Amino acid sequence: MLKLLFQWKIWSHVLYGIDATLGGIVLLLALGYLKVYRLTYAVDALPDLIQGFELSLEVVAVILPIGFGLGFLIGWARTTRFVILRGLGSVYVDFFRSMPPLALIVFFSLIGALELRGSTLNPYTTRNIALWLGVVALALHTAAYQAEIVRAGILSVPAGQTDAADALGLSRLRTMFVVTLPQAFRLSLPALGNEFSSSIKDTSLLNAIGWMELSGWSLQEVSYTYKYHYLYGSLVIWFMAAFLYFVLTYIVTRTVRGIEDLYKVPGLEVAR
Amino acid sequence: MSAIRVRGVRKSFGDLEVLRGVDLDVNPGEVVCIVGPSGSGKSTLLRCINLLVIPDEGEVYLDDLAITDPRIRPEWVRQQIGMVFQQFNLFTHLTVQRNVMLALRHVKKMNRAKAAKIAIGQLTRVGLADKLNAYPAQLSGGQQQRVAIARALAMDPKAILFDEPTSALDPESIHEVLAVMSRLGQEGMTMAVVTHEMGFAKEVADRVVFFDAGRVIEEGEPDEIFERAGHERTQAFMKKILR
Repeated sequence: MLKLLFQWKIWSHVLYGIDATLGGIVLLLALGYLKVYRLTYAVDALPDLIQGFELSLEVVAVILPIGFGLGFLIGWARTTRFVILRGLGSVYVDFFRSMPPLALIVFFSLIGALELRGSTLNPYTTRNIALWLGVVALALHTAAYQAEIVRAGILSVPAGQTDAADALGLSRLRTMFVVTLPQAFRLSLPALGNEFSSSIKDTSLLNAIGWMELSGWSLQEVSYTYKYHYLYGSLVIWFMAAFLYFVLTYIVTRTVRGIEDLYKVPGLEVAR
Repeated sequence: MSAIRVRGVRKSFGDLEVLRGVDLDVNPGEVVCIVGPSGSGKSTLLRCINLLVIPDEGEVYLDDLAITDPRIRPEWVRQQIGMVFQQFNLFTHLTVQRNVMLALRHVKKMNRAKAAKIAIGQLTRVGLADKLNAYPAQLSGGQQQRVAIARALAMDPKAILFDEPTSALDPESIHEVLAVMSRLGQEGMTMAVVTHEMGFAKEVADRVVFFDAGRVIEEGEPDEIFERAGHERTQAFMKKILR
């Protein structure tokens, strides 16, 4: 796993992301300088937006691993012979896929708050638990989608591959790890990248329960624009917020693309 | 003693009875070709021999050991018997050398160096020493099938089952694969070959088995079956294939 960190093929894609970011900043500055908008609006809002960006980053760093780990396990469970595992998996996926993420966030967080009401915990702790439950709700939501991606990946490995492994005397579990999953992983990476990017943007829903992440701060900053031209001010701020989301998403999707390149094998690449 | 002995094997998939009591012997060092119309259950029979398909009834013996005994692990049986498929079924994500090494590493638990040595040896034997680091998709069909043969050979099997090994190949590739198989036969490998290559069956097989509708209809030396078949169904089949 550590070896991954030193692969130029991955970092080259991350550099694309950073290039695009720098390009975006230059563009923003240029537009400001050309008086398309007032640079001062942007400069005033920037520190708070960056603070929100950091928090979004933190939330994403929690959601992606949980979502992927859980999604992987559930997706795998849905392809096994065990009827009970398969059934539990489909119930999970059916439930979480049919719920709007916003409703899930509010629901989880409220349940937490109600359960913890009157407990002896420090009120700050209680509040934090309720807030993080919203994050967990998002992770569970994306896990359902990722489970379907993993399942599709596993099922798209041709039966001939497991036949060959069986014929060589490999056990079922080992076949899974050395034949099926390595191929399923390559086949599902593009779809996973897609789902990662959409779950990153779903974090903007967290401000509904009081998270001051990127969109939380953006709303806040917009409310200060009464001091200036309201429309221009909010336009600039939302433009910056959108740009920061772009940066976050682009870096993640580019990294996934880098991993795709790193593990590319003739005959297994997905057409793009 | 026969290397493989099949006795009264029956197998149904749902309502469809594919094997209706098959008896078959393959002696050590013998090449047995199984011919017959498609859909007659030839592939299922091969799959019953290495327990990729578990027979409903009947016994299969490997060197006089009843491998259909439920106490015997199918994984163990499959290690002893190699199999080569119509569609090659090479592991797409692995290089040629890794394909051959996989089972050595994960089934026989060999270390990397030893497995690599065997893999290179077997790939040289099938004439692919220069393709060690190629991926299956970069090879021609004939080359892929030779890799598949090397992969089976690397496990040092007691017998190899060939399930229509040349049916998915172009004429040129058919020739190179059959050449490798003929050499194996001459070297004394025990082989059961389901094939439509009558030329190969005539030249290389020690015995030809005509198989139809889930049963062995007739068996004997190649000349007997091809030219002096006793059974009318065999005659009809041969008339259709041999011009």
